[in-house]
Amino acid sequence: MTQLTQLLAELQERFGADADAAIGEQALENVRVAYLGRNGEVTKIRRTIGTLPAAERPGAGKAINDAVAAMEERLKAAQAAVESRAVDAELAASIDVTFPAIAPAAGSIHPVRRIIEESCDYFMRHGFAVVVGPEAEPDYYNFDALNIPSDHPSRESFDSFWLTDSVLLRPHTSPMQIRTMQEHRPPIAIVAPGKCFRRDALDARHLFQFHQVEGLLVADDIHFGHLKGMLTGLCRELFGSGQRVRFRPSYFPFTEPSAEVDTTCPKCRGESAEGRCSLCGGSGWIELGGAGMVHPNVLREVGYDPDVYSGWAFGFGVERLGLARYRVDDIRRFISSEPDFLAQLS
Amino acid sequence: MRVPISWLREYAAIPADDAAITERLAMLGFPVAEAESRPTLSGVVTGRIVGLEKHPNADRLQVGRVDVGAGEPLTIATAATNVAEGQVIAVATVGAQLPALRIERRTMRGVVSHGMMISAEELALPAEWFEDGILQLDQTTPLGADVVELFGLASDVLDVEITANRPDATSVVGLARELAASYGVPLHLPRLRDSYDEPEPTGEAPRVALQSTDCHRFVAQRFDGLHVRPSPAWMRIRLALAGQRPINNAVDVSNYVMLETGQPLHFYDASRIRGGTLTVRSAHEGEKIVTLDGAARSLSPLSLVIADDREPLCLAGLMGSASSEVTHSTSAIVVEAANFSGARIRRMSGALGLRTEASARHEKSPAPALTNFGAARAAQLLTEIGAIAYPPRAFGAEIATSPPVRLPLRDVERLLGLTIERERIARHLAALGCTVEPAGGDALAVTAPAWRRDLGIAADLIEEIARIEGYDTIEAVEPSVPPHHISSAAFDRERALAHALEGLGYREIVTHSLCGSAESDVAVEVRNPLSEEHRFLRASLVPGILDYFAANGEVRVFEIGEVFRRENEDVGERTALGFGFLSHRDAARPWKDDAFLRLRGDCETLLRRVTGRAMDASPGDGRHFHPGKRARLTIDGRDVGELGCIDPRTSRALGLTENAYVCLIDVGALPPYATPLYRPPSRFPSTYRDVALVVRADVSARDVERAVAAAAGPSCTGVRAFDEYRGPQVGAGQKSLAVRVTLQRFDTTITDEEADAAVAAILAALGERFGATIRT
Ligand SMILES: [Zn+2]
Repeated sequence: MTQLTQLLAELQERFGADADAAIGEQALENVRVAYLGRNGEVTKIRRTIGTLPAAERPGAGKAINDAVAAMEERLKAAQAAVESRAVDAELAASIDVTFPAIAPAAGSIHPVRRIIEESCDYFMRHGFAVVVGPEAEPDYYNFDALNIPSDHPSRESFDSFWLTDSVLLRPHTSPMQIRTMQEHRPPIAIVAPGKCFRRDALDARHLFQFHQVEGLLVADDIHFGHLKGMLTGLCRELFGSGQRVRFRPSYFPFTEPSAEVDTTCPKCRGESAEGRCSLCGGSGWIELGGAGMVHPNVLREVGYDPDVYSGWAFGFGVERLGLARYRVDDIRRFISSEPDFLAQLS
Repeated sequence: MRVPISWLREYAAIPADDAAITERLAMLGFPVAEAESRPTLSGVVTGRIVGLEKHPNADRLQVGRVDVGAGEPLTIATAATNVAEGQVIAVATVGAQLPALRIERRTMRGVVSHGMMISAEELALPAEWFEDGILQLDQTTPLGADVVELFGLASDVLDVEITANRPDATSVVGLARELAASYGVPLHLPRLRDSYDEPEPTGEAPRVALQSTDCHRFVAQRFDGLHVRPSPAWMRIRLALAGQRPINNAVDVSNYVMLETGQPLHFYDASRIRGGTLTVRSAHEGEKIVTLDGAARSLSPLSLVIADDREPLCLAGLMGSASSEVTHSTSAIVVEAANFSGARIRRMSGALGLRTEASARHEKSPAPALTNFGAARAAQLLTEIGAIAYPPRAFGAEIATSPPVRLPLRDVERLLGLTIERERIARHLAALGCTVEPAGGDALAVTAPAWRRDLGIAADLIEEIARIEGYDTIEAVEPSVPPHHISSAAFDRERALAHALEGLGYREIVTHSLCGSAESDVAVEVRNPLSEEHRFLRASLVPGILDYFAANGEVRVFEIGEVFRRENEDVGERTALGFGFLSHRDAARPWKDDAFLRLRGDCETLLRRVTGRAMDASPGDGRHFHPGKRARLTIDGRDVGELGCIDPRTSRALGLTENAYVCLIDVGALPPYATPLYRPPSRFPSTYRDVALVVRADVSARDVERAVAAAAGPSCTGVRAFDEYRGPQVGAGQKSLAVRVTLQRFDTTITDEEADAAVAAILAALGERFGATIRT
């Protein structure tokens, strides 16, 4: 018995020394396994109990259990010390927080889509739906139904790519006016974004493939003031609350009255000295596109009574808006979509 | 159109501020592309040379005495050689400011000169368009008048853009009328000659035969006794300011009247009209004409010509022949003021590659009534230079007055959202030349002037009212949009795809829809391409994306756009989505490609996000892809797209050093979004078993997974192959697939015995189905 007591005292002493010497959690765990594990020192001692006289066995068991309890206490203290040393070590770290960040592999949507979405969101908040349609369209939707009969001089301003005798790549998104009105009865409140094509030679200001956002509102009491209201709102959405919008008389066969819509040049705000602003050429205004009250012939074509219904329509060039909004120097960048261009505008 | 503001001021008392005029024109619908300001000029007056003698000390100088209307004549020395006593000229007096110099009193070889006799160039006019030396003014010019004021040399010259519907405004008078109406000032029309009470001249009046319906009206008028010489200075200067080179007094009248009234004229040398009859007809095939520009042209019946008995004398509406041109020896002319089909002139101009100031006006189909205005104005100006006029003779359609348009005043308010008094509306319309009468109730009956053919309905008149009232007076208000049932689904779907891909780290690009190669035998060809590079419509997004990779290197990109194919005689069009990236070529394990799996993982995530459904992939046959690395994609058994490694031969041909991985989705084929439903997890713990099965190499992981799931019984909640091995340890033609089977029950904890039984069932089933053995 005294021999066992002696043995346990020695064991605890060795355990204490080993636990104190252990640096790190793994080393401490190794110590625990060596003494308290399934095949550890304590187990070896426990196995000797069987050799003791029966009367001594309960006392021996208690002595061993007491020793184990004391060793586990000691282990906890050692674990606490190890953890505290680890925390101290971690807290001692200090980094250069200005070192360049590690960039994620970020995605982005194209600036053209961003402008389309922001424009559409503005109209959707006001109760408009967004519709999309085909790019290869019969001349009926592109011209005839829009009050542009063949031989009409203004067909020339839509210099188009023809695919068959009667199908062309749409030079504007206005066919969606006809498609929507033929499919639905008034009221109509839509925006129609999409790609368009015109036979313009490619240069810093012209693309032969570009995007438009078309809008159409037809109901029984819609007037020109509503057109001004919505388009002024759109420009403020895209360019900020101080934005001014100007409506100038113009001519389109499918609207009457017709207007060209300009907005304040966001670069010079109309204050460039002697007109050398690279964005607006010094006029102080950026041309956004055409608009107007839907021509009675167009309403009649889709079976609406122009004495009952009135409406407005507009079509804006998206890349043109993009030039102004992002101060892009060359419109071709929208189609070359170079990684740097996309990254800067994302 | 180039318009000197000073010319506009002759017809209407518009404000003195040139910038305000420019702005006002824009707000009337006539934007100014460029406002050219004139240099500062002052101190230049008219004067008459009352004495001229040689300079006493210099052979090349003359000394003149010039009467400038007040005080003693000025002594002025000049080196010019075209001066003579009696001439009226422009004189820069001491203190005058010219573009390049300031005039001082100056001693020239002992003679004190009090000013300078000046040339057109010193007035900032194109020197090559005027006489060498001193500018010659008319004898009737008042002396001492300010030259800048007299000839309108200070005001801006505007380049005005005119819309296609306003041929009447492609003229100085037309624009002056617009400004007069807008500023509420009267319009003063130029003087016309429209009465012929003196006895008629005895010569032969011109005859015109209209053999084409594309000539609507032809006013012909003969003038005799013409002395061809330079025009008076005021006309030459005005033409020069308007960008028209002065030629002689006949040609100048023709150009002047066209600019002033908008009616193009043509003058024929009367002596060159053989047979005396002008015939308007289509040209014969191969018929020849040498036009004024010196070009010999071979014609087709597309061309409309005005011919005498022998040959064409004029390409209608475009340009006359050299042979019938007015020259210095011409004394009798026939003036043509005609109205042609704008479409015919446009086609003809396109076919001949010839566009002139006249054809640009004819193309817009001006009103036939303009012929009378142009002819009467030409008659006035030709009479003023001494020609003897025959009465004009008109051929073709009479001038028809258009029927009045009923304008309900309610409609003005309904369309504009602007209340304007009846009198104000009537005043605006009258100022534009309309006749306005009451039409009962709240309506007006409005008859458009003969020169306006674009005012056929009430909406046309409402635009006129709005223009004159000013678009900026219309208040901007937000409409309340009534409810409707139009769906935004297609747009929402595209947006969801784009944003999900953005989230997966792809950048959106836009590439050309038109490409240079046919790609396939169903490619749609453009009939009138801009260039060979853009002759075909793309049938797939793949070439555009690969070109982008070739140009820009390692990037993850996507594009959403239309692709096209020929379907019989029609054009088929679908919305496509393509996305992908480049990845290193890795030949180490030909049976495994992590880049492919990454792409498929992105695709599965994308389609789950957008459709709420699971996508399935099976071996595919897409033509763009590597034959062993391509899959077709289905959702609920329907094809939605394909993906794979682009055929390495294609990427190598493009110079790519890596392989491209691309997924193509047919956006229209995607099913509608299915909202996922939540299943609460079991309260009982799950357990799993990993099983390594050796099967034939051609047995797909998906088939193994499905067989495992079926064999494992109802408590199996997941099967996933997580490792594949081929090599000597499993033998040729075989592979080892490691599969993790997850088991879980809702009513109790899975026991080890149940799990082991499941594994046994799996081994039995797969052994039977695939001859699978367990890998040891
Ligand atoms: Zn600017």
